[in-house]
Amino acid sequence: MLEAAYGYALANRGMFAEALATHIRLSLLALAIGAALCIPLGLYIARRRPLWRELSGVFSALRVIPSLAILFLAVPYLGVGFAPALAALAVLACPPILINTEAAFRGVDPAVLEAARGMGMRAGQMLWRVEVPLAAPVLVAGVRTAAVEVFASATLAAFIGGGGLGDFIYRGFALLEPPIMLVGAISVAILTLGIEGLFAALQRLLESPSGH
Amino acid sequence: MSTRWLKFCLPLLLAAGMLAGCRSPSATLKVGSKDFTESFLLAEMYALLLEDAGFTVERRFNLGGTPVAHAALQKGDISLYPEYTSTGLLTVLKDKPLGDAAAIVEAVRKGYRERFGLVWLDPAPFNNTQALATTKALAEKHRLATYSDLAARAGELRLGGPPEFAERADGIKGLQRAYGGFEFKEFKQLGTGSLRYEALKAGEVDVTVAFGTDGQISGMGLALLRDDKNFYPVYQAAPVVREDVLEKNPAIAAALNRLAPLLTDDVMAALNWQVDGPDKKEFAAVAGTFLRDRGLLKK
Repeated sequence: MLEAAYGYALANRGMFAEALATHIRLSLLALAIGAALCIPLGLYIARRRPLWRELSGVFSALRVIPSLAILFLAVPYLGVGFAPALAALAVLACPPILINTEAAFRGVDPAVLEAARGMGMRAGQMLWRVEVPLAAPVLVAGVRTAAVEVFASATLAAFIGGGGLGDFIYRGFALLEPPIMLVGAISVAILTLGIEGLFAALQRLLESPSGH
Repeated sequence: MSTRWLKFCLPLLLAAGMLAGCRSPSATLKVGSKDFTESFLLAEMYALLLEDAGFTVERRFNLGGTPVAHAALQKGDISLYPEYTSTGLLTVLKDKPLGDAAAIVEAVRKGYRERFGLVWLDPAPFNNTQALATTKALAEKHRLATYSDLAARAGELRLGGPPEFAERADGIKGLQRAYGGFEFKEFKQLGTGSLRYEALKAGEVDVTVAFGTDGQISGMGLALLRDDKNFYPVYQAAPVVREDVLEKNPAIAAALNRLAPLLTDDVMAALNWQVDGPDKKEFAAVAGTFLRDRGLLKK
């Protein structure tokens, strides 16, 4: 079966390379959008605690909506293909990034901040020299969780013409040909594990005292 | 004492009687369907006709593509589902395409009975052949009228179609063998549903795989390209039933064969458009209304 899967991937090299490229492009872009939106937002609500209580409910609710539903809901507004898939995946990336960013900045010891202020640091200096380095490991852990979810869920893009490795899974199911399905499933698994490993390494680097 | 006994046991007796009652005269039939509008409509009509004939029906719709539905039928997870004659011949039996509609029916009847113990009831006259459609504007711009035109200009065009179209013998590969060319710039994999037409409308694809009775072809004013080498055979829909279920319940055939002759090309396309078009009606409502209007339901 694995041999048949390998043979299929080899025979459709061009198609496979394109699906892989689309999958990576889609996932990374969704992750970047999620991070660009949610890291500043997380920092903002970490400083305004009461807001968090209201927003955390909203984001927890967002988490339980199946990604496939978001995908289908986006179609009437964004059409089919890349754009709605990107939107759905960016929404998926948000909750873990936001939750971890908020926790990361809230977790910075007030005594450390007090000391920094006592040393005469300005707000901007405090943020970049004290808060960000201290918050980074937890923040990156959030991005790591989001990355795993996004890379694995990008397979759903195949349902709305967004391409990616999910095309093989969907096609393999439509034809009931497990080898074709495996071409998609195995490569998504390897890709996701690779990304997870990358972020895990980054997280370790930031956690080690020599990191800064 | 006796009243207490009655009080305690009467509900049990009643329940047992109800269970037995459900089982004895009419079996439960499990009607399946594939994952697109016409299959839903046909399966719902079968289900309504069987219920009208006194059977208990369980609906197991949306079973994906042909191999999934066929596997479910073989395993007995469903008792019957609507299938298309040439799909049975090419995709399931993996035989060579045949030109004559009656010969196709004969071939699938024989092949299915011998190899799977499955029976084809009477097919409807409509022909839901696979087709390739584009917008009128694009047809004019790229001078597309026939499949030969498309085969030659495929390199600059993007095709949208269901996932299996990339691999099936009656998909791109078959077209390439029959016509040469047909090397599209891109094949965009889209579901079997109306997503293909959304993509065409949005300019995400230039040509889409269509089915002859899709309501969108006339509804959206699309240009249907002519299969000038007659690559596509005739696809007529019929209920495919498990032989063992049919032997125990011969009334199934009579109930469903009454429907077949009414479903012509125009009728089927109009029914599909009621679901896929601006009316966006529920397929179950469309199926029910049609059967009642034609006087096929007693109730």
